[in-house]
Amino acid sequence: MIIRYILYFIFGAGLIACSSVHNIFTESNTYIISDYLEQNNQADSLILPYRLSLEKEMREVISKSKNNFTKSRPNSSLGNWSADAILNSVDKSVFGLKSYFCLLNYGGLRSVLNKGDVYLEDIYKLMPFDNEIVIVELPFSSLEKIEKYIISSGGEPISNAILKFNKINFKNPGPVDYSFFVITSDYLMNGGDNMSFFQDKINVIHTNILLRDAMILEAKRQKYLVFNKENRIFLY
Amino acid sequence: MDRKDFIRNSILISSGCIIAPNVLSQESKIKTNSKLTILHTNDTHSNIDPFPKNHHKYPGKGGVSRRFNLIQKVRSEEDNVLLLDAGDIFQGTPYFNKFNGVLEMKLMSLLGYDAATIGNHDFDGGMDGFVNAKSSANFPFLCSNYDFKNTPIDGHTKVYTIIRKGNLKIGIFGLGVELKGLVPDKKFGETIYIDPIDIANHIALDLKSKGCDLVICLSHLGYEYKSNKVSDRILAKKTRNIHLIIGGNTHTFLDKPTEEKNIDGNTVLINQVGWAGINIGRIDFTFEKKIFSKNDLLLVE
Repeated sequence: MIIRYILYFIFGAGLIACSSVHNIFTESNTYIISDYLEQNNQADSLILPYRLSLEKEMREVISKSKNNFTKSRPNSSLGNWSADAILNSVDKSVFGLKSYFCLLNYGGLRSVLNKGDVYLEDIYKLMPFDNEIVIVELPFSSLEKIEKYIISSGGEPISNAILKFNKINFKNPGPVDYSFFVITSDYLMNGGDNMSFFQDKINVIHTNILLRDAMILEAKRQKYLVFNKENRIFLY
Repeated sequence: MDRKDFIRNSILISSGCIIAPNVLSQESKIKTNSKLTILHTNDTHSNIDPFPKNHHKYPGKGGVSRRFNLIQKVRSEEDNVLLLDAGDIFQGTPYFNKFNGVLEMKLMSLLGYDAATIGNHDFDGGMDGFVNAKSSANFPFLCSNYDFKNTPIDGHTKVYTIIRKGNLKIGIFGLGVELKGLVPDKKFGETIYIDPIDIANHIALDLKSKGCDLVICLSHLGYEYKSNKVSDRILAKKTRNIHLIIGGNTHTFLDKPTEEKNIDGNTVLINQVGWAGINIGRIDFTFEKKIFSKNDLLLVE
């Protein structure tokens, strides 16, 4: 049943001799785009050459998955896989004895990974950005800012550390003398997602590796994508 | 699917004396009905093809070709259809990585989009990249709160557009999200972000004074935030003369438009349909236009 509320709004009544009135009734609907709808020939023929050109490259099966990698906060299998992949792609010798961990951003993971064949295209959808992996050296005085950021955001993908009781605990803690390293993206280092703590940086090592390329290599290296549901962030 | 919601809603629009007095003297009460159908998307993120069948959340959903089919069906049923997008057209599939947004623009032109606004990810190919892709678009990009002076985008967007459909005049303008901290600095260069509330009030009043029957804001501000960051819900509450906000950015799936009250206590509708072209939103406005003579005003309940 349509319930109509009719209100009259009289503009300038009394001032002028006439008024126009709109009663506006609204009705809304949300259509799901799905296979009950036919394809459209015009659109298909426009898309086809682009799709064919992409498919040659993008439909390569680069790995397999026994699980659905989902995205959630504060922890997720997708966040863990992504942060681990980035961590695994860097040369650890640069850290010496110092502590290091990988920090990505939840919003930067743009898709999920599904059970079954993993196509090159899937990693492009997960990480479409041409962002570079960078290693940022920060003073220990910045650690608390990172802890506060992650807690207030509700969780970000991390690797090689656990955040519990408001504190980041490194898996391989080095001496707490002066600095530690964060493996992250140039986007975040430059203040993306308002990670302003990166302004405290002491030093930056550029890897010239794109996050996406590191994920592609890692997916290829793993016969089945490593599914890890462990909780790394505890928001209490 | 297709749950049909009838929104109890009445939006008030006023206009001055638009019929000459001599017409009124001949016929004291004229009634005309007009209907406007708005179809809208947001955050399509280069999702040209449907999601794969093994997608655990949206198997087989979306796809521009089928979206076109639906749009054509609605156009065949309704006289006055507007098709709008609230930004983040780019970035999300290899179509963007490889073809830099050209196909997205060509398809939106084919589908007959009337207007779109710029989302933060529409800067991902850089500003020159946006301008290059936009050369394949036959519809305007509306944005009122980015000052693009001294940037490559200067001159490639409009503050607002007025579209006539039947006997209706629809004013549409665009608002973008703050870019700092969201988009790498070098990608937006010297673009200046301006607080959207004052600008929105200014433009909406302007559109009203130009005789628009309906004022629509295409917004990439986002539906709402935990913080006090400006959002569509805040925009609705702090402005006047806007009737509909079509939103984006937060990928919010709304079943039906949210109703807010504006400064004057009038209803503003806010709608957003998630992302990736999984859904398409539809809002129909039926305008019952009555022209009263002074005496008739007494008869109005």
